[in-house]
Order: sequence, then structure tokens, then C-alpha cells
Amino acid sequence: MEPLSTVSQTDVLVLSCDLITDVALHEVVDLFRAHDATVSMLMKKAHEPTEMIPGQKGKKKPVEQRDFIGVDDTGKRLLFMANEADLDEELVIKRSLLQKHPRVHLRTGLVDAHLYCLKKYVVDFLAENRSLTSLRSELIPYLVRKQFSSAACVRQGRDSKEQDQKKDEKSLDIYSFVKGDSLLELAPDKSCWNNLRGDMSEAFHGGRVRCYVHIMTEGLCYRVNTLGLYIEANRQVPKLLPALLCPEEPLVHASAQVADRTLVGSDSIIGPSTQVGEKTSIKHSVIGTTCTIKDRVKITNCIIMNSVTIEDGCSLQNCLICHNAVIEKGADLRDCLIGSGQRLEPKAKHLNEVIVGSEQLMEI
Amino acid sequence: MAARGSGRRGAGSGGARGPDPQEEPPPPLQAVLGADSFNRRFFPISKDRPRVLLPLANVAMIDYTLEFLTATGVEETFVFCCWKSVEIKEHLLKSKWCRRTSPNKVRIMTSDLYRSLGDVLRDVDAKSLVRSDFLLVSGDVVSNINVSAALEEHRKRRKLEKNVSVMTMIFKASSPGHHARCQEDDIILAMDSTTNRVLHYQRTQGLKRFRFPMSLFQSNIETVEVRHDLLDCHISICAPQVLGNQIHMHVTTEEYGARVSNLLMYEAVCSDIIRRWVYPLTPEMNFTDDATQSYTHSKHNIYRGAEVSLGQGSVLDENVLIGQGTVIGSNCSITNSVIGQNCKIGDDVILDGAFLWNGVHVADRVKIQQSIVCDEAEVKEGAILNPHCVLTSQVVVGPDIVLLEGTVISLHSPDEEEEDDDEFSDDSGVNKEESKVKLKGYNKAEVGSEGRGYLWKAADGSEADEEEQRQSLWGPTLNPEQESESESDLSQDSEQPDSRAASPQLDDVKVFQNEVLGTLQRGEEENISCDNLVLEINSLKYAYNIGLKEVMQVLSKVVLEFPLQQLDKGLDSQHYCVMLIPLLKNWSPVFKNYIKRASDHLDALSAIEEFFLEHDGLRTSIAKVLMTFYQLEILAEEMILCWFSQRDTSEKGRQLRKNQQLQKFIQWLEEAEEESSEGDQD
Repeated sequence: MEPLSTVSQTDVLVLSCDLITDVALHEVVDLFRAHDATVSMLMKKAHEPTEMIPGQKGKKKPVEQRDFIGVDDTGKRLLFMANEADLDEELVIKRSLLQKHPRVHLRTGLVDAHLYCLKKYVVDFLAENRSLTSLRSELIPYLVRKQFSSAACVRQGRDSKEQDQKKDEKSLDIYSFVKGDSLLELAPDKSCWNNLRGDMSEAFHGGRVRCYVHIMTEGLCYRVNTLGLYIEANRQVPKLLPALLCPEEPLVHASAQVADRTLVGSDSIIGPSTQVGEKTSIKHSVIGTTCTIKDRVKITNCIIMNSVTIEDGCSLQNCLICHNAVIEKGADLRDCLIGSGQRLEPKAKHLNEVIVGSEQLMEI
Repeated sequence: MAARGSGRRGAGSGGARGPDPQEEPPPPLQAVLGADSFNRRFFPISKDRPRVLLPLANVAMIDYTLEFLTATGVEETFVFCCWKSVEIKEHLLKSKWCRRTSPNKVRIMTSDLYRSLGDVLRDVDAKSLVRSDFLLVSGDVVSNINVSAALEEHRKRRKLEKNVSVMTMIFKASSPGHHARCQEDDIILAMDSTTNRVLHYQRTQGLKRFRFPMSLFQSNIETVEVRHDLLDCHISICAPQVLGNQIHMHVTTEEYGARVSNLLMYEAVCSDIIRRWVYPLTPEMNFTDDATQSYTHSKHNIYRGAEVSLGQGSVLDENVLIGQGTVIGSNCSITNSVIGQNCKIGDDVILDGAFLWNGVHVADRVKIQQSIVCDEAEVKEGAILNPHCVLTSQVVVGPDIVLLEGTVISLHSPDEEEEDDDEFSDDSGVNKEESKVKLKGYNKAEVGSEGRGYLWKAADGSEADEEEQRQSLWGPTLNPEQESESESDLSQDSEQPDSRAASPQLDDVKVFQNEVLGTLQRGEEENISCDNLVLEINSLKYAYNIGLKEVMQVLSKVVLEFPLQQLDKGLDSQHYCVMLIPLLKNWSPVFKNYIKRASDHLDALSAIEEFFLEHDGLRTSIAKVLMTFYQLEILAEEMILCWFSQRDTSEKGRQLRKNQQLQKFIQWLEEAEEESSEGDQD
């Protein structure tokens, strides 16, 4: 994050590279601009996995360590944030928070999309304060907490610390970085109706650090950070692809050779130079480039990466097949995960297994 | 629906035309009213009069509660009395509730044995008084809430899932710091926003931060709502049998509901009544149907009873209620006050926020602020009552006395109160007390030269106690919110930097070191076997994600530092060795467990070296320590030699190696090795 402060001269949008979403980005940015927020972020209800994850016993919870997200009545202002891992037996909420926002909706089933809009001064603050190492688990909760401590108190607190000769770098505070908007400071004095309601009311009513969150109610938003979510995302994306992203591009690539009597589902993707044999059916699946799929193969709910060979008469259901794998004749696979370069015996039968080379363990 | 229940019944049983004709009409609504507070918050006022009969805007509190119940459709009310039950009974028998035309049948149950609301409910159950869902209120609730919506919800819930929900509590939404929110009863709630189920209920008094057990969030509740904007109206709808364990809630935003739980609330509720928040329960409605309680309402919320005379130049500013037959002298100024019936108020009197009950005499030039003067009390010329004073009935103060803030004066001696422990049943105390008054006499300094009454305070009478007394009678005052906030922020601030002092990666090794030290100490004290120590260290290793190399270093360091901790810092090497060697002997299995490969040996040696570099004074003992390690077969001789001959050492390290004893030891080792190798050759 440090180099960013030298590069960026304005407010920044930070996002993680494993985010797949069709959110209208302006929602987050609008929130950020309308409320003159310190930070605004994107969240989404956690998905229930629709299918089993290959090679995994039982269904996993959608979110392993739940986040507790507190929002106000409008569902936009972010008031509270804590992770289950940081809490012991109980969840603690300060009185000062409840005094300002008597109703807090604590939600647990949300996932953070790791998309943040940050003010310039937050970046500066981050550059100065080296003890903050993680954006998600340290900086954001810090900002959320700081919303309800006023600057005056902070200053007072620091004075007392100075007396104790303890003024160290850690007492660096976000407030010293908040750049007051001169217009905003002027406004309460100059305007005749200062009990302003509306988007900027928070700014008028004292809170100098303001965090907002946009919670998606519908639409697609995946953070592909686990295998399960990767598979899930692969299932969902083909459905949306024609409508949203590239309407002119066909799902079955022009250079793919698909035999006439083959069934290809409308939500399946077949990559370039892939050959598909006779009497093969492909449903709800994604197939990569230069694969060879022979005759009478059934592929349902699968993700098949590039250069995979599947021989005659195989049946694959809910599987993930990595690059260069070869599946010999008549194999029957369900809920399996096949590592790259693996070669399966003819007529092999596998159910809910992970088959990988021992040297390259995949993390599930 | 239930609110109209009484009306519907009056118009014949035409209720069958509901949406579902199959559905039976709900049984008549019943209510249980606890006409006893089961606490002594209103002492000494409640010594003369039970709390439910205290006049609130000249009407007894219980009348408000009964009117609320009747208006909401209750057809049968059980009033449970305990303290001063005779007076309550008498009051109720005279009131309109016991007339034949009353839509709400009031049945009075008295017993001296009730000690809590729980006792009352047990009695309700024992006598099987209620047939269906009933309302539970206490006799000091003032409200105009129509509970029908809540009742409907409650019944639906109970129908949907039998024996799950037992109670629906009624809350009123009001922002924090609202004057009708009693600080003592201030609550914070956690609720399930989809089902309105109450998950957590907590009083907030004196708390800076609120704790919610994690178990609240375990179940499949999507959104838990934490609400601090609710006022508990102390009205609940209960199921006749307690068979479930869930409590639900109903929130009203428009209507009024509050419980008079202390004098501050008395003041707040009283002024709300006068300001017409509890409409239709306003003074001029005369809902008690009492001829003496008719008032005319004029603008600025001035209410005047019959035959009120107001002297020349007297001003009734706003929010004033004056009872029948009261005479007010000239040039008075009265605001935000309630004056009872047949009071006499002299000239040049200033009343601001005063609550005068019936038959009070206030002489000339008196100033009363935010105080309560009970029945037939007398305030003589020139007396000044500062805020939060209380004069109980028949007390006389003055002339020309200034009562400090929070003074409470009663005819009952505070000493007597102690003897009178059994306050709920003992009525005879009043008679005894008369004789006592004569015995003791009044303190003129406290009540003025013509005064009658005792300053009510705890036995030793220290100032702190007086404050406490005021606290308990009036209840905590509303603090300016900012203040409490800043305090909490300060504490929060001072905590925070500590909590994440350094970046976590560095921390772990340090924490691990401390843990290992603790483990070894315990091992030493409790004689834990080395196997168990190894087990513990291993678990720590995983807990803090420490590599083997670090474990080695930490272990050596901790063990070598061990004697230092036990004695003072200024330890000479002689002593040090004496202390260390037995320790090493004890823990040699631990070392052996970790030091296996060649690199482990070198790691341990470098840790030892580091330690001795840090402790100059002990440097001479390094040879002995290494010797011990060697003798215990923890460190192999080749490894020691290898370490000794390491090239890439620092300046200091080289100095260390020049140590004479160490050199000797090394020499000895070399010779020994030669010998052994020679032996091998032979």
C-alpha cells in the first residue's frame, strides 16, 4: 500500500483481483461521493453452495469465520465490524455508538467483496502508520471504530500520553489526517437551516470519519478465494455471460469442432480448438481450449481446463479436471477433482475423490 | 380488534362477522395489575400513601392504569395489593371502576404475603384466575397504547407455534436521552428483526459498553438488531401457562407508555400528562368521573378546576394544573406546576416545576423549584425549596429557611424506618410513630423555627449518604450525553494502541518465549515430567506457528536465563553455574528431544553464544555450561568443535572464543576426540 501514496493524488478505489461481480460500480462510488465518506465498500450476501464441492466431504459453511457487520436503518452506514475470530464469548458495542445510532442491524451472512473506495488521506495515513498491515482486517475495522470517537477527545488523550513520555508512532491517529473541508466547516455557521437532513447530514452532525457500505441484494458477486467459490463462480458466470459481458461472442467458440449429434447445453462454454465427438452431451459445463472429448461422453456440471483428453464413453458429473489430464475410456467420475497432468485408468470409478500428483497438493 | 371488544359485546354478539366465521371470538381479555411496587423507591412518601395512589396531575396513578386497561379492551382486571391494601381497596371501591356500569370488572385480591411480582403470578396460577392470554402491568404505568395490534400478533404467534412464545413485551420507540426514559430502567435489546423475538435484554445503567453473548448469533438468524431507542412500557401480554421460552416484542411509535418508577419519572410523566402526550388521558377529560376533578383547559396548557381564585398580578405561565378550591394570592408566578385541591398559596410565590398535592399551604414569598410537597404540608414565609426537595404529608418548614437541593423531610423519623423492616405488612408503625415525635422533638436548624419533621437521611448522616438518598428517591439524573461519550472514548483510546502494539509476526516468538518460560517454571515448581513438558512445548509451537529453529533458540535462551530470574541481576558466574547445572540435568530429556540433527546442535550453540554475549558478567561460565551440555550428551563434541571453529563470527564472538576456560575446554575436547579416534584405530 505504501507506494500507492506516492502515486495517487486523489481518492482511490481498491479492489482485489479475484473479484467477479456485475455490480454497478457507481453504487459504491456514489455512496462515497454523496456522503463525502472516508471509506465506502461493497458487500454481498454469502452464497449457499448449490452443488457439492468436488472432493470434499459434506457441505461447508459458506463463510467460515463470520463477520459481524452493523449497519444503520438505511443499511448504508457502516457502524460496526468485527470478525468472529477476534471475539471471545461476547460482542461488545460501545454506548457512544448506540447513542448516535440507537438501532444497529447486526448481520452475519455477508461477505466482503474487498472493494473499497478510500479517501486520499486514508492512504496517507496508511503510509505513515506501519503497524497496519492489512487493509481488510486492520485498517477498515479501525476506521469503523474511529467513527465514534470525537477528535477533541483524541487530542486530549494524546496530550496525556505525551505527559507519560509515551508518544510513539502507534498513537498516530486517523483524525490528524482528516482534512477538513473548508466549505463544510463554513456551512453550519453560514446556513440558516443547519439541522440539515439528507446525504450530508452526518457530515454536519459531527462525525468526521464516515464509513459506508453498499450491500448487494441481487446480482453476481464472487470473491474467488476458495475452490468452492471458484467452482460456483464458474457455474454462474456462463448464465450471465451472454446477457452482460460479451453478447456478440458465442459460448461455443467458432474454432471448436462439435459433432452434429452432440448435445451442448445453452449455459455451457466450449473453448477454441476443442473437439467434441459424437453422441456426447455437455450440460452446465465449462470446457477450455484444445480439449479432446471423444464419443458418447456425458459431462454435467463440470469444469474442464485446457488440453484435457476425455476418451469414449466417460461419464463426468460435478467434476473439476485440471490442465492436460487424460481420462481413459469408460471412466465414471462424480464429485471428483482431478489434478493437472493426471491420467486415469480405463473404466476407473471414482466418487468424491481428489486425485492429484503427490508433489502438487491442491489446497481445498 | 380486542380494543373494540368491549364495544362489540355491548352491541350484542355481532362479532361473528369477522374474516373467518369459523374462528371463535377471542375470550374476554383479562389483566393482572400489581398494585405494589415491591420496592421502597418512594420512601418516605409511600409511608403515608401507597405508591399507586400517589396523585399524578391530581389523579391517582392506579386510575391511569385502569383507564388504560379499560380503553384497550380489558374486561376483567385483578388488582393485587399488599402494602396499604386497605387504602387501595377503599379507593377502588369508591371509584367508577366498581360501579355496575363499568366495562372493566375490577377484582381486588389482597394478601400480605406477596413479596414480588412472582408471588402474584404464582397466586394467579394457583387460583387459576386467567383463562387466556392476559395483560400484565404494574399499578404505576401511564399509557394510552392500544394493545390490540400486539395482542393480535401475540395470538397469531401462539397459534402458529404452540408453547413457544410466552410473552410479548410492549416497547415505545424514543430516542436515547428522552426525558421519559428512566435512566435506571434504560435498556438495550437485541432482537431478531424478522420475527420480533427478543434475544437479549440488558439494563444499561452504568455501562459504557454492552456485551452480547455470541450465542445470540449462532442460530440461523439473518439480522440481529440491536436497539437502544426503546422504552420499556412495563406492559406485557402473557400466556396463561408458561410452556415456552421465547419472548417477543411489539414496538409502538405513536403512543405513550411509561412507568413511574422514581421521582424523576414522576416529574417527567406528570409534565407529559399536562402537555397532553397521553391524550386522551388529559386532566380536562375527567376520566375518573369524579365531580371534584373537572377542569377547564385553556391555551398554553393551563387547566383550572372549579372555584379557583387567582390573586391580582398572578401569572400562570404555561403547563399549570390547579385543583378545585385552591386559592392563589397576588403577584405569584407559576409555571410547569401541578397544584392539588384546596391549597392555599400566599402572595409573591414563585412555583417552577412544583408538584403540590391536596391541601398544601404555601405562605408568602416562598420559592419552590422542581420539588414535591405532599398532602397538607405547609411551607412558611420566605422558605426556599431548591430542586429535588420532598416534603411528605403534614410536614411544616420555615419560615425563612433554605432547603438544599435534594432535601427530604418527613414526619416519620428515619430511625424508625430501620425498626420497621417489614414495611409491606406493618401498618401499625404509623401509630407508634406519633408518640415518638413527642419524644424526640424536631431539629429547628433542619426544618425552621416553626417546622415539623425530620430530615430524612441515613443514620450517620454523612454527605455522601445524603447524596445517595437523593439518588435513590429521585433516581439518577439525565447526564448530558456528550460527557459519558467522551469518557468512553478516552478509555477506548487508551486501550487501543496497547491492544495492537507491534505487528503480530514479531509478537508470536515473544509470546511463545513467555509461554515456554511459564511452562518450565511450572515444571520446576510442580515437578512435571519432561515428557509432559515436551508435549506442552510442542502444542505451544503449533499454537504460535513457530519453526523448529526458533524453538531451539527460545528453549536455550529461556533455560539459560532461568537462574537470572530467580535471583537478582547481579549474579556472579560461580553462583550462576551452581544454579544452572541442576536445571540442565533436570531438563536434559527436553533438550534431547529437540536437538537431534547437526543443525539443531549448531542452533542451540549459537543461542548459547548469544546469551553469553548479552550477559558479559557470566562469560566465564560458558565453558562450564558447555561442559555440562556435553556431559549430559545433549551436545556432541564434534558439533561444539565445529561451532568453535566457525569462521563467520562477529568481533564479539571471537572475543568470547578467546575466553581462557573455553579454550581449555575446547582443548580438552580435542584431546578427548583424538584419544577416542586413536582408540578406534586400535
